[in-house]
Order: sequence, then C-alpha cells, then structure tokens
Amino acid sequence: MSGGAASAPKPLPSSGPKSLREMPHPLATSSSEEMGPALTPSPDLLLPRSIADKDLSLPNGTPVDTSSPASSSSLLNRLQLDDDLDVETRDLFVTVDDPKKHVCTMETYITYRVTTKTTRAEFDLPEYSVRRRYQDFDWLRNKLEESQPTHLIPPLPEKFVVKGVVDRFSEEFVETRRKALDKFLKRITDHPVLSFNEHFNVFLTAKDLNAYKKQGMALLSKMGESVKYVTGGYKLRSRPLEFAAIGDYLDTFSLKLGTIDRIAQRIIKEQLEYLVELREYGPVYSTWGGLEVELSEPLEGVSACIGNCCTALEELSEDMTEDFLPVLREYILYAESMKNVLKKRDQVQAEYEAKLEAVALKKEDRPKVPTDVEKCQDRVECFNADLKADMERWQNNKRQDFRQLLMGMADKNIQYYEKCLTAWESIIPLLQDKPETK
Amino acid sequence: MESAEPEPSGSRPEEEEEEDEEEDEEEDGALLPPEQPAAAVRMEDCLAKKMEITVSEAEKRTGRNAMNIQETYTAYLIETRAVESQSEGQCAPVESLWRRYSEFELLRNYLSVTYPHIVVPPLPEKRADFVWHKLSADNMDPDFVERRRIGLENFLLRVASHPVLCQDKIFYSFLTQEGGWKEMVNETGFQLKADSRLKALNATFRVKNPDKRFTELKHYSDELQSVISHLLRVRARVADRLYGVYKVHGNYGRVFSEWSAIEKEMGDGLQSAGHHMDVYAASIDDILEEEEHYADQLKEYLFYAEALRAVCRKHELMQYDLEMAAQDLTSKKQQCEELATGTVRTFSLKGMTSKLFGQETPEQREAKIKVLEEQIQEGEEQLKSKNLEGRDFVKSAWADIERFKEQKNHDLKEALISYAVMQISMCKKGIQVWTNAKECFSKM
Repeated sequence: MSGGAASAPKPLPSSGPKSLREMPHPLATSSSEEMGPALTPSPDLLLPRSIADKDLSLPNGTPVDTSSPASSSSLLNRLQLDDDLDVETRDLFVTVDDPKKHVCTMETYITYRVTTKTTRAEFDLPEYSVRRRYQDFDWLRNKLEESQPTHLIPPLPEKFVVKGVVDRFSEEFVETRRKALDKFLKRITDHPVLSFNEHFNVFLTAKDLNAYKKQGMALLSKMGESVKYVTGGYKLRSRPLEFAAIGDYLDTFSLKLGTIDRIAQRIIKEQLEYLVELREYGPVYSTWGGLEVELSEPLEGVSACIGNCCTALEELSEDMTEDFLPVLREYILYAESMKNVLKKRDQVQAEYEAKLEAVALKKEDRPKVPTDVEKCQDRVECFNADLKADMERWQNNKRQDFRQLLMGMADKNIQYYEKCLTAWESIIPLLQDKPETK
Repeated sequence: MESAEPEPSGSRPEEEEEEDEEEDEEEDGALLPPEQPAAAVRMEDCLAKKMEITVSEAEKRTGRNAMNIQETYTAYLIETRAVESQSEGQCAPVESLWRRYSEFELLRNYLSVTYPHIVVPPLPEKRADFVWHKLSADNMDPDFVERRRIGLENFLLRVASHPVLCQDKIFYSFLTQEGGWKEMVNETGFQLKADSRLKALNATFRVKNPDKRFTELKHYSDELQSVISHLLRVRARVADRLYGVYKVHGNYGRVFSEWSAIEKEMGDGLQSAGHHMDVYAASIDDILEEEEHYADQLKEYLFYAEALRAVCRKHELMQYDLEMAAQDLTSKKQQCEELATGTVRTFSLKGMTSKLFGQETPEQREAKIKVLEEQIQEGEEQLKSKNLEGRDFVKSAWADIERFKEQKNHDLKEALISYAVMQISMCKKGIQVWTNAKECFSKM
C-alpha cells in the first residue's frame, strides 16, 4: 500500500481520515500562514523562500535538524498546509524548463528538460535530467488515470490549439505551455500517492521513455494497477450526500470559472480596441506640435507619454493572455476530470450495492458475506477515502492557486497604472517649463 | 510694371500696374469707416476687473418665436456685480437678467463686424459635436446645457477681459440691460457693414499682394482647425473604448459574489474583491466627465481658429479692395492721358468707335477730361484713406494677434497640464482599487 521512503513509520498517506490536527478548519483564515506573492503551491528549487523568521520546528513540536546539508530538512522550503509535514519532509523536486525545438524529417516538435532532485529510495540517483515532449506528458497522465483511478489526476494544458492563429512554436505559446507542464508535474510531486507511482518514476528517470512505453507493462506496484475497476452496467441509486455536494460544487465552480474566462477575454478584447484608438491619438499631438512654436515641446511630450501608456497596456494584455487565461482553463479541465472520477466512484458503489442485493436475494444461510462482495466493499471504502483526501488537498491547492492567480492579476494592473503614472508625472515639469526668451 | 515688394499696406497707387483685362467687378458702396476703435485699455482697467460676471443658471423655457411657432429653448441667467475697491466689506448688489443662446450669437456677430481686426472670442458650440456614445447629442440634455452654461460664462469673461472689446457699449448693455437690447443692436446697423461671403471668397482668390504674415496665419489657422478636429474625434473614440474596459470589470463583481457563495475560506476575500471591481467600474463616469472639460478647452481653440481666419479674410478683402481701387485709378489716369495727348495706347472700345465713327469734338474731349480729372482726384483721396485704413488695420490686427498668441500658448499649456493631472489622478485611483482588490485576494 505505501511506497514510503522515510525510515520512521508513518500512517498510510492515502487511506483513512486525516487526523484532526492536520485538517484545516473550513473557516480558518490563512493569516497565520501568510505567504508572499511569489507563492507557488509546489516546491520550486529556483525560488527558495527564506524562513528565517519562522520557527524551525515541525507542527508536532519536533525541532528541525538543519545541520546536515544532506538532511531532508535542509530541502525544506516552507510549511505547507496540505503537506504531511509532521511525518514526511519534502524529498522530491521536479522542474520543467529549457524548451528546445527539434526539426526532424517527419515532424517538428518541442522538448522540455525535466529535472529531478530527490533523496527517495525509489530513485537510484539523487538527480536526473531528461527531455520530454508533450505526448510524453500525455502518456503519463493516461497511465496515472489508469493506475490510480481513485485519485484526482491534475490536468494537462490543452493538446490542440483551437483558438485564433496561434503559432505552436511562438515564444509565448511555448512558455505558457512550459509553465502548465511544470505545474502538472509539481502537483503530482506534491501528491503523497501519485508521486510514488511507478510510471511517474520512469517518466522522470528513463533515458529512453519510448522503449518503456512499448513494453506496455510496468513493474507491478502493490497499489493501483492490479485493481481493475469495472465500469459498466451498474446504476447508482443515489449518491451519498457528501459526494453529491462535491458534484454540485464542481458544477457551479466550472460554471463560474467559465464566466470569469469570458469576462477576462472580453476585457482583453476591449483593451486591445482601446489600444488601437490610443495609437492614433498620441501621434496627433505630435502633428500639432509641428504646427506650434512655444507649444511644440509640451505637445511632443504628451504624444510620447501616450506612447508609453500604449506600451504598458500592451504588456498588460499580453500578461493576462499568457498567465491568467491558461490557468483558468486548466482548472475548468481539472473540474471536468474530477467529475469523471466521481462518476467512477458511483460505478464502484453501484457494483457493490448490486452484488450485495444479489446475495441478499439468494436467501442463503451464510454467516459470512462472500469474499467477492467483501472486495467490492473494500473498493468502495478505499475509493471514498482516497477521493475525500484528494478533494481536501485539491481544495487547499485550489485556494492557494487562485489566491496567487488573482493577486497576480491585481499586480499586473497595478504595474500598468504605475507605468502610466510615471509617464504622466514625468511630463508635468516639461509642461510647466517657462519658454526661453527667444 | 508690377509692384514687386511685399509691402504690408499693399501696392503704391503711383506705380503703374500691368493692365489686365477690364475686370468686371461689382463695387458695392464704399466701406463705412469702422467704429472709432477705442485705444486698447490696460489689463487692470478691463471690465472683467471692475465687474464680476457669471452665468449662474440655465432654465428651460417655452415661448413663441419670430414665426409665432411654439418652441422650447434654454435661457441663461447672467449675474453681474460691481467690484468695489476695498470698502468695509460692502458688497454691491447683484444684478441679473436672462438671455438665450441666440442673443449671445447676435452679440458675437455684432462684435465680429464692428471689430474686424480683433480675434473675437468664440461661443461654445451650438450643437453637441464630437460626442462619444455616453453623451447625448441632444441640446436639451442637462450635461450639455451645463457645459454650455460654463462656455457662455467663459465667453463673457473673455470679452470682458479684452482690452478693446470690454469697452463696447453694446456689450455692456448686453450684461446690464434686459429690455430693448436687441433693438439697440439692430439700430447700430452693423448688419450693413458685414461683408458678404461671396465678396470675401472672391477677394481671397484674387488678391495679389496680401501681407505674408496674414497668409501664413491663414494656413496656420486652417491646419490648427484640422488637427484639433482630428484630436477631438479620436479622443471621443478613446473615451468610448476606455468606458467599455472599465464597465466590463463590473461583471467580475457579480461573478465573484456568486462564486463566493459556494466557497468556505475563499468566500469573504472574493466577495470583498468583487465589491472593489464594482467601484472600479463605476469610477469611469466621473473620470470621463472631467475629461469633457478638457475637450471643451480644445474646442474653444478650434473655434478660435475660425476667428483668426476671419481676421485674415478681412485683411485680404481690404487689400483686394485697395488693389482694385489702385488699378481703377491707374486706368482712369491712363484714359485721361490718352484723351489729352490723343494717343491710344491700348486697345479700347472707345478708341475703336472713335476711329470708326469719327473723333469727338474738342469740347466733348475737354468735358471728358474734366470728369476724369475729378474722378482721379476723388480716387486718389479714396486710395489714400484706404491705404491708411489698410495700414491701421494691419497694425491693430497684428497687435491683437500677438496678444491672442500669448493667450493661446498660456491657455493650452494650462489645458495640457490639467489633462496630465487628470491622467495622474486616474492612474492613482486605479492603483488604489487594484491594491484594495489585491488585499482582498490575499485574504482568500
């Protein structure tokens, strides 16, 4: 069941309810866990956050050992809500970067460098660096869905670019995709079960992934793959309340995100139309300046100022398009895949209930419930537990992701206005200048 | 021999001009001399300093117009009060009267005709122009009426602070005399003095030697009109688009509110951030309202360009008139000479008929010569006075133009500064709102 690496015994990361201590109160604010604006929910090697002002002890009071550079605690970046921090310190770091274009006879495509740093026993080496392309990520995701059907698998950025005339090899597109792929891997890394998945390991380490793919078989892990979930024919009478609530939540959530996506797109569109007019507006002041003598400099100044505002606006729109919209869309995809997992869960429960009923109808005098039905019951309970735990985790991550996303949006707007402010403030002295006596 | 030098006061009557074909010009009655232009008054003695003038209210009225048709119009209340020199807190009483836009127009027409050498301040626009979608193009719209009220007050203050115009009696009566003002204006007969458009157009095309400065000024005012029109048009579109950007953000308010309903921890942060988005969306109305004042300042100078143009046209007309008079005089002198010496220099119908039908008698010739000599003398006197008028006009017009240029540079600089200040204020508001929103997001 567990792929644990640490020598200290720890509870199974995925089964059973979390201890009360670990579960954040639904109404709790995060003020005690105030994070800086550069927060990413996943560890990021490149941006270690200073915790000099934090108490270097784990929530259960155990002091953290920072003496040895190789100790897992020295890799500790920050305290994080959803981490099983009291039993497991961060020991796996994954980054996606360095996109490169490959031109072959058959096709042209982009690969990304996937760097892994780890102390886990499942990995032979402490460091890995491999190159992967999108279809490799896609393969990984499919494998994860297959092998961990009770868990919520993070979404990938969209495969095909539908909208507009986007160049798949443009810098902006590649960078947007890289960020999404990085996020994808980090979410898996964070997950106490998924991060130990065999396919994930191979993805991070194998020199020749294609060979592995062709094998079609992975080393069996005790959890996951051997369990086949039948999806067929069983209809659930009623979803238990808590899962129904999750379903409803996801429905409304997707709806609201869709609305926000549309609003954001509309804003960008309006901004670009505004930009078009501004681009005509500025030069007219310049033309006027050409007519005048004393007013020539002030008018030129205004023209240049408007030009600067145009540049700032362009940057704002670009940022929103590249950073804001993709994350929204990712979450919409996430919600969709989560709803599917809910359906699968329903299937499993339905199967169990059907089999249970069948046994009851047989009216046999058996003191013991047949093992077949017992297994079904296990499956239901496992699924429910995994799902609940993942939902909890997902909610927290979602909150942090959106917090960061929306703060980022606010930041970009602030920066836009600050750039414009600087431009206009700088020409005030120019406008107030007394003309030199001619 | 054509007069070559670009003498501001036009061609010298003595120099021979190349005889063109007889121009078939219609000459109207001799121009009446303009009203004795008062010597310009010092700034401290301007009416504006002695009297407080405001256009304080606007009111919708209905009444019967000249054609006895019921109409709705707006009347504006003009309030005036003499500014007492520092006496013990004594305040002169406020006098007031109502005027409508057409009366302002009448006043301005009177001033334009009576002081053709002055760049007469323009009135605010008659109909709303350069509107962006939010502004109504309706004359009865309260925002339009309000801005017009301000524009009319500005007009009166401009006239009252003009060193020449402020002394005009008709202007004074406009401010102080409610009844009978229209009749008073019409009695001045100023309409008769007005130059016909056709005449002016003709002169513009045919004048040979206008003062170069006026020609340049004419081009400048044409280009100024063109560039400010363009600027106002684009600005209106910019305002329209900016309005759109701000208003769409209001939708965030609603959706954040709806979203917050299904969230536990995130709810409060989302909800309050949504409120800030609403504030942001609402803020654009005031911002654009303020910008209208900037647009009005630009519009004033757009219309001022027309006033400049009018002064240039007047110069061209006078110059053309002068050139025609000089030409006429020259031809008369020539005729006289021909009759006296009996030589025919150029082809003329008279010459032909006399060849065909016999020469005139000496008596007839004498009579003709005498008439011509009288005409020549008259002509020379007229030419002299026209020349003088022309020079005076140029001198006083150019003085006012210089005054105008300084005023324009000062005003437009102020307008640009106030525009920059508006932009700064808008940026600061934007920073404030988004900082507040960011604060709310951080609490999610």
